[in-house]
Amino acid sequence: MIQELHQKLVAKEISVEELTRDYLARLKRENPELNAFLTVAENEALNQAVQIDKKYLDKSQMPLLAGLPFAVKDNILIKDIKTTAGSKILENYIAPYNATVIKRLFQQSAIIIGKTNLDEFAMGSSTENSAFGPSKNPYDLERVPGGSSGGSAVAVAKNLAVYALGSDTGGSIRQPASFCGLVGFKPSYGAVSRYGLIAMASSLDQIGPLTQSVLDAKIVFEVIAGKDEKDATSYDVKKNNINLPPFKNIKIGVPKEYFIKGIDLAVEGAVRNSLKKIEAQGAQILEISLPYTPYALPCYYIIMPAEVSANLARYDGIRYSPLNGLKNDLDLMNLYFETRGQGFGPESRRRIILGTYVLSAGYYDAYYLKAQKVRRLIKQDFEKAFQKVDFIITPTTPTPAFKFGEKTQDPVSMYLSDIFTVSANLAGLPAINLPCGQNKNGLPLGLQIMAQNGYDFNLLSFSELIEQILKT
Amino acid sequence: MEKSEIEHLLNLARLNLTNQEKEKIYDDLLRILDYVNQLNEVKIENIEPMAGGTHLVNVLRPDEVKFDASLSEELLNQAPKTNNDFIQVPPIFT
Repeated sequence: MIQELHQKLVAKEISVEELTRDYLARLKRENPELNAFLTVAENEALNQAVQIDKKYLDKSQMPLLAGLPFAVKDNILIKDIKTTAGSKILENYIAPYNATVIKRLFQQSAIIIGKTNLDEFAMGSSTENSAFGPSKNPYDLERVPGGSSGGSAVAVAKNLAVYALGSDTGGSIRQPASFCGLVGFKPSYGAVSRYGLIAMASSLDQIGPLTQSVLDAKIVFEVIAGKDEKDATSYDVKKNNINLPPFKNIKIGVPKEYFIKGIDLAVEGAVRNSLKKIEAQGAQILEISLPYTPYALPCYYIIMPAEVSANLARYDGIRYSPLNGLKNDLDLMNLYFETRGQGFGPESRRRIILGTYVLSAGYYDAYYLKAQKVRRLIKQDFEKAFQKVDFIITPTTPTPAFKFGEKTQDPVSMYLSDIFTVSANLAGLPAINLPCGQNKNGLPLGLQIMAQNGYDFNLLSFSELIEQILKT
Repeated sequence: MEKSEIEHLLNLARLNLTNQEKEKIYDDLLRILDYVNQLNEVKIENIEPMAGGTHLVNVLRPDEVKFDASLSEELLNQAPKTNNDFIQVPPIFT
């Protein structure tokens, strides 16, 4: 998609301004129903478009992303544009600087078209935790688009943006990509700078693209990846580290622990069917075991809230934008208590309290320390597996998109949506969702491919091959 | 978890909730703790805890001052109350 549009701009079949107006018109027409965007950056987009049209006239070589409108999850800062993180507590917050990923995209003359909806502070699997109402799945308006990067997924699925950025802490790029029939890529931990991403769980968060194709994901990733002095955990993942072996020599591991009781039959069928097609092209499929898999989600639900409770402590009513409707003359303690009590939604509060509990005196060893040890065991599971296989393929989610309200009463039932995706975050691995069919009601299904830490470009090259095979 | 612990946690986390919200959060926490307690099945003797980031290398940089005065101003502009170049807060010692 990116290359085709770039060619049209180079060939002057369409101007950047025309393209941008086309996207803006569609966005404004579709968004009232879908609620994919929280902010439409119409003026910024049109101003940028006029400038970039001039550059296309002046310069013979323009970057691939130049003049193409993209959308950004509303927990990534863009200077002078409102950034809410889907929370009432940041309802009036204007970003004071650009995130590194945004800076890098702007250097390519990419055009920001708007900020997309998400579960509050990226905590959720459906966008139902957004303070500004949920987004809707374009395949069935009574169903969720997935989350937390649900708005970004809807924006790309309906072509309201050429591509979008999301963030993934436990599956928040891959799960909505799966529910909306897209490619969604979570890079290795550290592959992309987190500077300017509103922190949720800092040892797990990564920014990545949601796109129409693997090639598009690769093009965007090449621009946003790389070491950034403003994020000490960032580093340069190896480019073309090893050329992919011939397809018939590639070993693919399929962990038996991912085909659990309760998995939707259509999901399992689509993944198994995809594996058959891949095997028919010559790759070797091996059943493997990742024995600590059942403990990944419980481990995640200790480590993540612990980090959340620390990261969200900064929203205290003093440094960030004022909360609407707060009394004016509160003393310090009441200012803290009222700002946080009124500003955070139910899921944020749950995770703050849970995190406070697992870190508090008397419980630290029993919960947090134990979870950190289990996290190492999960990572070791993968290290052992990758001595035998090059890639691991699993389902991305246990079910296709579910209905609004289906999982909002019981938090644990919502958390189970991420059961196949959290392991990659705990172990820091790159992982991607590829569409692999639809169920009988036309809902998209997805499979997940994981690779070794730092092998992001290999994973993307391999995924391009798989994408081709699945199309046949 | 005892129900009385909720008050203590809410105080630590500086969250003001209604009684109804407290009941709900206590219920939810019990369910979540019941779920995460599965970890008790795992043998963890002699396992080093994994604290986070996975690409463990030293990160060094020259000790240079990089100061962007315009950013300070932008950051101050976001605060609800300011006084000259300072963020203003309610009295701390009362």
